[in-house]
Amino acid sequence: MNLDRSLRCVAAATFFALIGAPSTAVAQPGVFGGGYGPPLAVVSPPRAFASSEEHYKFLLAAAKGGTKHTITSVPRWDGLWVTAGNTHMNSFIDPPGFAGKVREGVLTPPYEKAYRERWRQQQELGEVQYDRLTHCEPPGYPRWLLEPYSHEFVNLPHESYLINDFGPGIRRVYIGQDHKNVFGTHSWYGDTIGFWDGDKLVTNTKYLLPADFTRWSPMTSNQFESVETWQLKKYPGDVERLEVQVTFYDRHAFVKPVNAVYAFRRAKELEAAGHRVQHWECETSNNDVLDKGTTTSRLPGEAGFKDARGTTLFPDLPGQSRDPIYNTTLPGGKEQK
Amino acid sequence: MKTTFRLLSGALVASLLTASAATAHHSFAMFDRTVEKVATGTVVRWAFNAPHSWLYLNIKNADGSVTLWSFEGSAPPSLLTRGISGTTFEPGASVTVSYCPMKDGRPGGGLGWVKLANGTFVNPSDGGCDGSVKAIEKWKPWLAAGYTSSADAQKPK
Repeated sequence: MNLDRSLRCVAAATFFALIGAPSTAVAQPGVFGGGYGPPLAVVSPPRAFASSEEHYKFLLAAAKGGTKHTITSVPRWDGLWVTAGNTHMNSFIDPPGFAGKVREGVLTPPYEKAYRERWRQQQELGEVQYDRLTHCEPPGYPRWLLEPYSHEFVNLPHESYLINDFGPGIRRVYIGQDHKNVFGTHSWYGDTIGFWDGDKLVTNTKYLLPADFTRWSPMTSNQFESVETWQLKKYPGDVERLEVQVTFYDRHAFVKPVNAVYAFRRAKELEAAGHRVQHWECETSNNDVLDKGTTTSRLPGEAGFKDARGTTLFPDLPGQSRDPIYNTTLPGGKEQK
Repeated sequence: MKTTFRLLSGALVASLLTASAATAHHSFAMFDRTVEKVATGTVVRWAFNAPHSWLYLNIKNADGSVTLWSFEGSAPPSLLTRGISGTTFEPGASVTVSYCPMKDGRPGGGLGWVKLANGTFVNPSDGGCDGSVKAIEKWKPWLAAGYTSSADAQKPK
């Protein structure tokens, strides 16, 4: 390996570290990819609101019903994006980051108690013992906001599609509409309505399932709701950053609404490398922490191992291999056709 | 070269502003990151997919038998920025890998660096082991001396 190649390797590796590593600019765990553009700053709502609906209607009235974009005027956020930091843990953990303590009085007593146990596991084991993502369940909302890897955002005049590559997980924002819940239940991404205020997309999300901010963050209840304001900002160094100012409402989990900002930056290096969003093969990466040094991970040939590239349930039919290019098999799998 | 240095400098400066932490969606607790080992084997499968890639190798034992080993690496969006794609390790190829072994002794580990048959080193590692250039440079003389364990290589002479 020559020097130039070595340096490129270091640069690329370090570059990746920036994508995946939390930034100390906000000195908190879970920011996923800070370091692009100036430090994120939370913009609090103009006043306190009793509910997300009241908050959303206030902003809609202030925007005089919102901007009616056409297909040619609606802001374009096409392309690949990756997370570029967030501040959510600043509300729940006192510095310094993973060594900090759970802040008192932010969560309601039952949620604070539950979170203290989760935080204990994180600090003592290095991980929480159970994470639903390791069982191939969706991140849900609000965790969708900080999931790493790649994102896509597609704006049309009457609907926006906010896409994360887990699953993938797609949020749909219905522009200029009221909430609907024809299914009569709550869901991982709930129901999101929105309006445009010039180049800013304002949303209101409700009807969510209980979830969490991420695995080391507080849990949320089925009354969790949010108001988001999305805006694309440009900074020196050719940094394009989508910043999402969010107010979270949850009468079961929070003493009062919580504010945070999340960000995504345009991932030109991924576009140049030919990356395209794919469904995850999460089966092979499942593991829950049982104790220090033991997890529920399963290797090929072991009972419980799930081969994402093995055969389908119809191995005798031609063309049923899920690894059709290399046609590989692992112990426990059946012969490929 | 100048461009590379500018990229390197910028990345290193920015890296000083960051702190490492678990960024994967699951635990690395099963890997012993205090020791690095090296093994050579034949690629059975390179599963290049999110949330974590897996490199499966057939590795020959001292008695001539073969064991299938499983090594966990990073996710495609990050691997692509390091020049690694879904065709980098093709079935049948011979590669040498560094890894942090599973604590329970099963044939698996967190993937560090990989040395291809043409002598090129690449870094597909995630939080389970260190595959950085620093780790590669550390290992080069150890490999030349025939070591396969960082513990052995670091023993006082």
